[in-house]
Amino acid sequence: MKIRLKLSTLSPWLAWLIGLGVVVAAGVGAGLIVFWKGLSVTNLTDLIPWGLWITIDLSSIAVSAGAFSLCAAVYLLGLKRYQPVARTATFIGLIGYSMALLTLILDIGRPDRFWHAIVYWNKHSLLWEVTMCITLYLAVLALESMPIFAQFKWLKMRWPKLAGKMSHVHHYAPYLAVVGLGLSMLHQSSLGAVYGVLKARPFWYRPDISVLFIISAVAGGMSLTIFASMLSVRLTRRASVDDNLLDRVAYFIGWTLVLYLYFRFWDALSMTYTYQPGRTEGLHLLTSGPLSFNFWVGEILLGIVAPMVLLLYRPTRTSQLWRMIALILVVGGVVAYRWDTNISGLMIVLSYLPGEPIVEYTHYFPSLIEVLSGAGVVAYGLLVFSLGVRYLKVANHQTVEEAEHAPEKLLAEPAAAERTA
Amino acid sequence: MNRRDFLKITAVGVTALAGAQVIRRAEASEPTPSGGRQWAMVIDQSMCNGCGYCVMACRAHNDISPEITWNPILEAGQVGDKRIYLPRPCMQCSQAPCVDVCPVQATYYRPDGIVMVNYDRCIGCRYCEVACPYGARAFNWKAFTDPNPVVPEWGQPEVARRPRGVVEKCAFCYQRIDRGLALGMTPGVDPEATPACVVVCPVGARFFGDLNDPGSNVSKLLKARTSYRLRADMGTGPRVYYLSATEENAQP
Repeated sequence: MKIRLKLSTLSPWLAWLIGLGVVVAAGVGAGLIVFWKGLSVTNLTDLIPWGLWITIDLSSIAVSAGAFSLCAAVYLLGLKRYQPVARTATFIGLIGYSMALLTLILDIGRPDRFWHAIVYWNKHSLLWEVTMCITLYLAVLALESMPIFAQFKWLKMRWPKLAGKMSHVHHYAPYLAVVGLGLSMLHQSSLGAVYGVLKARPFWYRPDISVLFIISAVAGGMSLTIFASMLSVRLTRRASVDDNLLDRVAYFIGWTLVLYLYFRFWDALSMTYTYQPGRTEGLHLLTSGPLSFNFWVGEILLGIVAPMVLLLYRPTRTSQLWRMIALILVVGGVVAYRWDTNISGLMIVLSYLPGEPIVEYTHYFPSLIEVLSGAGVVAYGLLVFSLGVRYLKVANHQTVEEAEHAPEKLLAEPAAAERTA
Repeated sequence: MNRRDFLKITAVGVTALAGAQVIRRAEASEPTPSGGRQWAMVIDQSMCNGCGYCVMACRAHNDISPEITWNPILEAGQVGDKRIYLPRPCMQCSQAPCVDVCPVQATYYRPDGIVMVNYDRCIGCRYCEVACPYGARAFNWKAFTDPNPVVPEWGQPEVARRPRGVVEKCAFCYQRIDRGLALGMTPGVDPEATPACVVVCPVGARFFGDLNDPGSNVSKLLKARTSYRLRADMGTGPRVYYLSATEENAQP
């Protein structure tokens, strides 16, 4: 009887949390199977050793790029009024990077040795550099998020001094922004270079991937931040945003997409004329092969061109609905780009037999375990963000003002009292 | 310290660190030292008949799972009536992409040129597999716990089995070379000191020896006959040389 009553009063919020919880639980189950049975439960092979997980990895890092770019804008370029947006971005960044680490742990054959990269340095390895940067940047994000966690009501009540100290970290935000900018510029680009330095894969072997990775990450990261803020406002009263700020950032994303499209165009065009075995085939996979829908529709049309127009054209940008559609399209486009980049290079296997290299094609489709554990990681991200909106007010542009000035006021008052005395 | 100073100090610090790294890299040891021994393998395609004995001996001596092949034999066309084969061990590149990309230095050069994998350090990220132009690396998707089906018929295991979750590959039977040298033998001449695939080959298509020794059989062969290396255009500097089969020399 009681249970039935509770079920009938199940709020959308609780339903959402339960739904996410179920997916997270399924993901944890799948993850345990991966650790128990090993990577043989995946559809990965020696020819396609990287698949869905690496895409989630790359994507969650890319869409976390709002944190470093907005923090740099606020604390280094002095665009102080965007601070509330940077706050949301920082929290999303923290979630995104923890998602990346979770997927990496799944993806490596020896998760018990995850710490080796931190101890045994191979400075020539892009993957080593990326791992170090991600680990360090996660620490930066954790510090940057301290003032956000200080907003937690329970913490404030229980340990007010600790909350005050955590809030105080805000004063170091400019320094953290410098470190974050440096680390992010490095690894956001070198995630592309992880692919770009491999001479054995002519389709990847070009310097452009690193440039494209960082530009698309900035566009995708900012888009996710703005989208998440706008969606939160629509769904809960605990979120409240200054739409003027979001509009300005959306406008900037529009121009970032112009830049991204420009580089994408020349990157693709230059590949058309190399006639190099493996590279030409790679481009064909994208433009007319099995990945052509992903490429033309997912990446270019819906991922770049449509949102670019929607965000630069004032009437559509100022419309809440169109702006949100445009922003989520950018995020989708960035994810599609990461998937296509990874899989296109792996699908082409160049022969090493004497004579002209012959190209062979491989195939990959993720297994159920891969999909479930990947979905679990994504659901974990959504769950933490939802809790953040609710309890830490990460998508609330009004609380920020208080948070920023409250400690200063406290400090200023005794000083003022002394002076008057 | 204001923000400007902080930025300045950071910039100077980062530049100095980067500079130090460049200098250190320049000082780092060359992958191909000129002195000492440099092991190489020569495979005569005019003799190889694709029997696959080398695959079996390799599996037995290195205790490899039946699902993994360190040393596959590929078909490489036809000369006259004869089918031509191409056995492909690890090339032991002098500029190995796998060594460069490994995030934990689990794969490295020995002074004698052999590219090794430290199976206790490998984290199983598989970047080396993606980077290797020759597909010479295999990942242990499963644990190999069953008895090795080719033991003892094709030889006795000489190295420890690799655990699940690490990448493995051919290492020119370094264990045979090292043990042989310690016993005063010459790799490439004494069978006990020579890679198992070279020893087992029934037609004598494989040769092994020291490139730095002008009297070794590999040096002599490479001087006498025209050889080629796989994807030499990539600059990886393989240490496996092939002698092509021609209409004249192909064994029936």
